[in-house]
Amino acid sequence: MEAVLSIHQLTKHFGKLCAVNKLELEVNRGQVFGMLGPNGSGKTTTLGMLMGVVNPTSGNFYWFGQQPTHLLRKKIGAVLEHPIFYPYLSGQKNLELMALIKEAPTANIPKVLELVELSSRKDDKYRTYSLGMKQRLAIASALLNDPIVLILDEPTNGLDPMGIAEIREIIRRIATDGKTIILASHLLDEVQKVCSHFAILRRGNMVYSGAVDEVGRGVETVEVTAFHDDLAAILEAFEGGSGVTRENGRFVVKMREGFHSLELNRYLFEKGVVASHLATQKKSLEKQFLEILAEADHAALVKN
Amino acid sequence: MLHLLKIDLKKLLDYRTFWIICGLYFFTLITGAASGMEFLKWLARTIEGFGQNININRIPLYHFPDIWQNLAWGGGLLKMGIGIMTVISITNEYTYRTIRQNIIDGLSREQFLLSKVMTNLVLSALSTVLVFLIAIVTGMIYSPGFDMSYGFTGIGFFAAYFLEVFAFLSFALMLGIFIQRSGLTIILLLNAYLIELIIKENLDDLLPGIIPYFPLESIMNLVPMPFARYAFQEIRDYVSFSSVAIALAWTFLFNFFAYRKLKGSDI
Repeated sequence: MEAVLSIHQLTKHFGKLCAVNKLELEVNRGQVFGMLGPNGSGKTTTLGMLMGVVNPTSGNFYWFGQQPTHLLRKKIGAVLEHPIFYPYLSGQKNLELMALIKEAPTANIPKVLELVELSSRKDDKYRTYSLGMKQRLAIASALLNDPIVLILDEPTNGLDPMGIAEIREIIRRIATDGKTIILASHLLDEVQKVCSHFAILRRGNMVYSGAVDEVGRGVETVEVTAFHDDLAAILEAFEGGSGVTRENGRFVVKMREGFHSLELNRYLFEKGVVASHLATQKKSLEKQFLEILAEADHAALVKN
Repeated sequence: MLHLLKIDLKKLLDYRTFWIICGLYFFTLITGAASGMEFLKWLARTIEGFGQNININRIPLYHFPDIWQNLAWGGGLLKMGIGIMTVISITNEYTYRTIRQNIIDGLSREQFLLSKVMTNLVLSALSTVLVFLIAIVTGMIYSPGFDMSYGFTGIGFFAAYFLEVFAFLSFALMLGIFIQRSGLTIILLLNAYLIELIIKENLDDLLPGIIPYFPLESIMNLVPMPFARYAFQEIRDYVSFSSVAIALAWTFLFNFFAYRKLKGSDI
């Protein structure tokens, strides 16, 4: 796979504080890469270094295998932290200015405005926009030069549920175009819903990285509902289960290694039970995230 | 280069404050020039009150060729007006954090600075042209005639005036980049000359030789104050090479310091 971004030993100190510590990371083409971490874990600092606004203390990184230059940045669409625009200019004028900087064709402006559904407000001054509109304009601006890579930092921060759903939908639409997306967020749910890969930062250290699909591999639980009086006993007798609990009127079977819903279903059928509901539950990213952070905390504690 | 200028002008041309400040500045230049004659009349009246007489027609304030140096000097006094515009233009980028976004979007730090320097050049050129036009108009109103042989003597002061404004705007830009807040920068810019004056006066006895090398002093020195000549004193009525050299060196340094600061800091 082709590496879009590779980071080697990237480090940033702010005085005594080590914001990012020897970060090693690789993002490949087509990935939707989530950067997770609590507030202040170094996500934005890392992105700032990648985008040339924060000078690294040491280490280096390569975009598309090349030394980073301002010319490469024109090919990347990025919004770090809050949307930043000239408040006294209209959305349209802001994008025109950005097109000048990015040397992007102005013909793209109506297209990106349409994509984020801002066309009707494009001539209003930016300062009159709501937070959701500002975020959407920021995404529009990031898409202006038809970038190969898109960097979004907390794109749903401070939005209402509808706004969050809208932004998520936009990100998904962009991802299906085959663009590489790097998404920093402290919202696990968000990362799990849109990302293919993720890394977890904690106090400037990367404590985990992997594919979202791999999360929760291993222990699996299956939810079962069926109209049968002895269902509990039958489930208890299943050789692939290691325990049955009852939650919200449903039975939850914890599975042993190597057993899946398929085996359970077959077993129930053989016993003459037809399940009306059968669903595999994977461990949520949230659970995994908290576990990893707890482990990292523990490791740090032991080390000290 | 032109591309960078276009970027910076795009930020300013739709900014109402820009037009208000430029409008006020140019208005001040015009009223400043127009009020000179009224000042002379007032002066004559006041002196008359003391029982003395002066004939203001003997003071050729607006006559060719005196007018070139007189107005270039007067315009130099008012350069603060356009300096404030430069301060606002750069500190806005920090307040709105747009400097960060500009760099994220693909400007290098050098290019960002260069776009501001280009605007400074344009503002200086506009300023020069405007003062020149005012000089021609007032000259035609008040001057008894125009003599080709000496009418243009001292017109070189407009080149010096251009450098004076550009050097000052470079200073303002540098201050803005270091301080990053508009109010504080403007206050410091307003006080800079006085601060320098205090230092100069205290150094005058010890090291009189270095006085012309002070930054704002060197900028003011480009067009020396001309009025002493109306009291029959000798004045420097030409642009001296050393003053240009010192002012150019400072202009370079201001922009260089701004560059160093911009290059080395996290934005």
